Amino acid sequence: MVLKTLESMGPLHGYGIARRIEQTSGDLLSVNYGTLYPALLKLEQEGYIESEWGFSDNNRKAKFYKLTRAGKKQLDRETRDWRQTQEILAKFLGAREQTS
Amino acid sequence: MKRLRVWLIRLGAMFRKKRHEAELSAELESHLQLHIEDNLRAGMTPYEARREALMKLGGVEQAKEAHRDRRGLPLLETVWQDVRYATRTLAMRPGFAIVAVLTLAVGIGATTAVFSVVDRVLFRSLPYPQDDRLVSYGVRAPFEGIEFMLAPEYAVLRRQPNPFESMTSLAPGGADCDITEQNPVRMSCAVVESTFLATFGIHPIMGRDFTAEDDRPGAPQVALISFGLWRSRFGGDLKVVGRELSVNAKPLEIVGVLPAGFEMPNLAKVDMLLPQVLDEAALDRNNPRVLLRAFARLKPSLTIEQATAQLQPWFRDSLRFVPPQFRAEVSLRVRSLRNRQTADSRVSAWALLGAVVTVLLLACVNVTNLLLVRAAGRQRELAVRAALGASRARLVRQALTESLLLAIVGGLLGCGFAYMLLKVFLAIAPDGIVRLDQASLDLRVLLFCVAVSFLAGVIFGIAPALNGPAAEWLAGRASSAAGRGWFRQGLVGAQIAFSIILLAGAGLLLRSLWNLQNIPIGLDAQYVVAVQISLADHRYPDNARRLAFFQELETKMGRLPGGGLLALSDTLPPSGGMQATFFASIEVPGRPRPSQGTGGMVGWRMVTPSYFEVLGIPIVRGRGFTESDRSLAERPVILSEALAARLFPGEDPCGEMMRFTAFDRQGPWRTVVGVARNVKNDGLTTEGDPEFYIPWKDDAESYVGRGFALFRTSLSESSIVSWTRSQVTEIDPTVPLEFATMNTRVEKLAARPRFNAVLLSTFAGIGVVLAALGIYGVVSFYASQRSKEIGVRMALGATAAGISRMVLLSIWKWTLAGTIVGLAGAWFGAKLVESLLFGVRPHDPLLLGMAVVVLLVVALLAAWAPALRAAKVDPMVVLRYE
Repeated sequence: MVLKTLESMGPLHGYGIARRIEQTSGDLLSVNYGTLYPALLKLEQEGYIESEWGFSDNNRKAKFYKLTRAGKKQLDRETRDWRQTQEILAKFLGAREQTS
Repeated sequence: MKRLRVWLIRLGAMFRKKRHEAELSAELESHLQLHIEDNLRAGMTPYEARREALMKLGGVEQAKEAHRDRRGLPLLETVWQDVRYATRTLAMRPGFAIVAVLTLAVGIGATTAVFSVVDRVLFRSLPYPQDDRLVSYGVRAPFEGIEFMLAPEYAVLRRQPNPFESMTSLAPGGADCDITEQNPVRMSCAVVESTFLATFGIHPIMGRDFTAEDDRPGAPQVALISFGLWRSRFGGDLKVVGRELSVNAKPLEIVGVLPAGFEMPNLAKVDMLLPQVLDEAALDRNNPRVLLRAFARLKPSLTIEQATAQLQPWFRDSLRFVPPQFRAEVSLRVRSLRNRQTADSRVSAWALLGAVVTVLLLACVNVTNLLLVRAAGRQRELAVRAALGASRARLVRQALTESLLLAIVGGLLGCGFAYMLLKVFLAIAPDGIVRLDQASLDLRVLLFCVAVSFLAGVIFGIAPALNGPAAEWLAGRASSAAGRGWFRQGLVGAQIAFSIILLAGAGLLLRSLWNLQNIPIGLDAQYVVAVQISLADHRYPDNARRLAFFQELETKMGRLPGGGLLALSDTLPPSGGMQATFFASIEVPGRPRPSQGTGGMVGWRMVTPSYFEVLGIPIVRGRGFTESDRSLAERPVILSEALAARLFPGEDPCGEMMRFTAFDRQGPWRTVVGVARNVKNDGLTTEGDPEFYIPWKDDAESYVGRGFALFRTSLSESSIVSWTRSQVTEIDPTVPLEFATMNTRVEKLAARPRFNAVLLSTFAGIGVVLAALGIYGVVSFYASQRSKEIGVRMALGATAAGISRMVLLSIWKWTLAGTIVGLAGAWFGAKLVESLLFGVRPHDPLLLGMAVVVLLVVALLAAWAPALRAAKVDPMVVLRYE
């Protein structure tokens, strides 16, 4: 989710990412913002995102995260996997519906 | 890959904490500000905006904590924290730390040193690929301790289907060989079949292996040289293959170089391998004279038992050559190569390992005790920590960290100690302990040392660590420690048991040694120096030349400066190795020879007339030899008392006739002229064989290439050495000489029992000291724990003696239990070392009793001091403190 957000929005700071996820999910997913930072750190350690300090729209100093190439690949891979899973599930469920 | 990257980053993060902390604070701060601003825009009051932002974040500190856990490696961090904490607490009470570490160092060091020695004997694989499939096989007969093969039978087996993937043989004893060109030197050569290296899976590092061609009679002479010889004599010359070398005055070609770690299966020293050249066509099946040592590689997945079974038909067939009455005493033996190499070192190796592991356990128990005592003093601290939220697991981990730290420091010191100990072992070790010279503190042994340290750390650390805190300890009344008393006293019991086992073992070995040292060997070794002389075959190819050498030697050396006596003989007591024949082969006129069995072996020696006088062997009947007996015409023989009693029971043997009839060959009739006192002639521990003496002839009848010159002299050994050297050099400077006083030769026989006894006694000594320390510690602790009670008792009128008794009695149950367990352990242990004992029963009640008494006295003494101290408690002081 974080990766997807970064892909569509470009470099973003932690708060922005949290808000964005909340918004896209139509406020269905209300994250505890505190847990976002360890997740970001994990992604950074794994090399999928990188961070640097910059200034926000309203001129506040904030740490901006952006997707790296490895991160992009990972995102593609996960998206593909997710689609596959979905397709399989869809077929499976569809088949179930037909037989029943 | 990715995991590793993450791990490295996290590891790295541990070292730049400050920067990361600052950054995290700034990030969270900016997050909050952004959120608050948004909230303000949404129309909240500043207070509400901040509150809402914080709530969404879930608390700044919590967020930070979660972040930290992800950033570094929390496990490693707490370990590091524990280590630092443990170091600090240990440093606070250096006395405890030093005692614990030293105890462990002794235990771990001794274990490591002994392991480095026995590892080679018991565990480490032999330097051949798939060494577990290598076997030594052959026939066992009374006259030869090691299995052997007769060459024609070997050839038969080689042609038949057999259980071996590959088989090979070598000539027993190897061969002396001399390089006879510039820089002549004597080497050790092994004469092997061409399949030798292939069977053992060894490849020459240069050149080629022997081929079947090299084994053909009349093939060009070739040799493989050892790595050592290649380096020392040829300077590691890469073009050495193909070089010609003159050996035993004959040219041969070097065809290959053996690898550096090459080892003969019989552990003989080897400089050069020569092909055996067994001419199968020439091997007469009806005259099986050539002996071989045979080795083989079993077919995969075949066991030794299966192989033995498969060899049975061949073995039964080969029995045809054995005279029927001897067959019962001949058997087939197939055993692993390791077994052949280490057969007689195994028991002592296991005994030593067992003893030293016992010492290690004792050390661990002692440290456990120390830790328990300390833990009792720290109950309050633990309780506070538990109350503040430390989990049980965290406390256990902390305690284990501390004990592991002790173990590691102890282990490091122990490795150093092991190094010194190993030096001592090597210095005092006798010859003949297999592979002892190879023992060293290499990586494998060090790993063992580390493993032992960790194991020790866990063993002695786990009990105190699991000693979880209870809430009532917060009150500071360490009363529950008494509940743990059974455990501590149980440890004392265990120590006593271990110590008794060690003491009993040491007692048995010392007693054996004492017996060995005091055996009458039947000769007077004082003032006798023996010189071993061996003549090389190529310089002295026939008896005439050997005779000439020894004759010249006798004339030259007979004029011993400062007086003294010279004798010659082909072999020397009390070690074995003399020539021998079957008892059944001795024929006495008018007496039937035994029709069944060999009757055991009878040894014999060739000696000059002064032999008996030089060695102080009394002639108990008849006369000794005279110079005239040395002429060919005379055939006198002197019997040992044992032989005389067997051949001529109840009679005077002097003047009787006897001769040897072995197989189809008959010796000349000999007249018995005298009877000599029995002499130990096959080591100290065996009864020895009956023997007889024949004179060393002035004739080339049967001269051997090896002999001993014996001097009885008051001159010092060193002057004898230099004088003999100069005399022999005048005759032939190439003849090698080996000197030893007779005393040394006798001492040598007891060297291994002495080595075992010294080591085991040392370990037993350490064990007793450790046990004493343990008992002392436990009783002191008991007394100090109960000092209040004692004070009250004394205030109420208990006497000092009564208090002492009470304290002493506190451990009697466990002492008794330990004694019983120890006695049982010693009982079983003694059975295991039975083969190391001499002249003492493994369950000698006196020795067991002594071990128990020594230990009980030590226990009493160790408990005495704290008991006395307890009795000196001033009730006023204690009660006031209360």
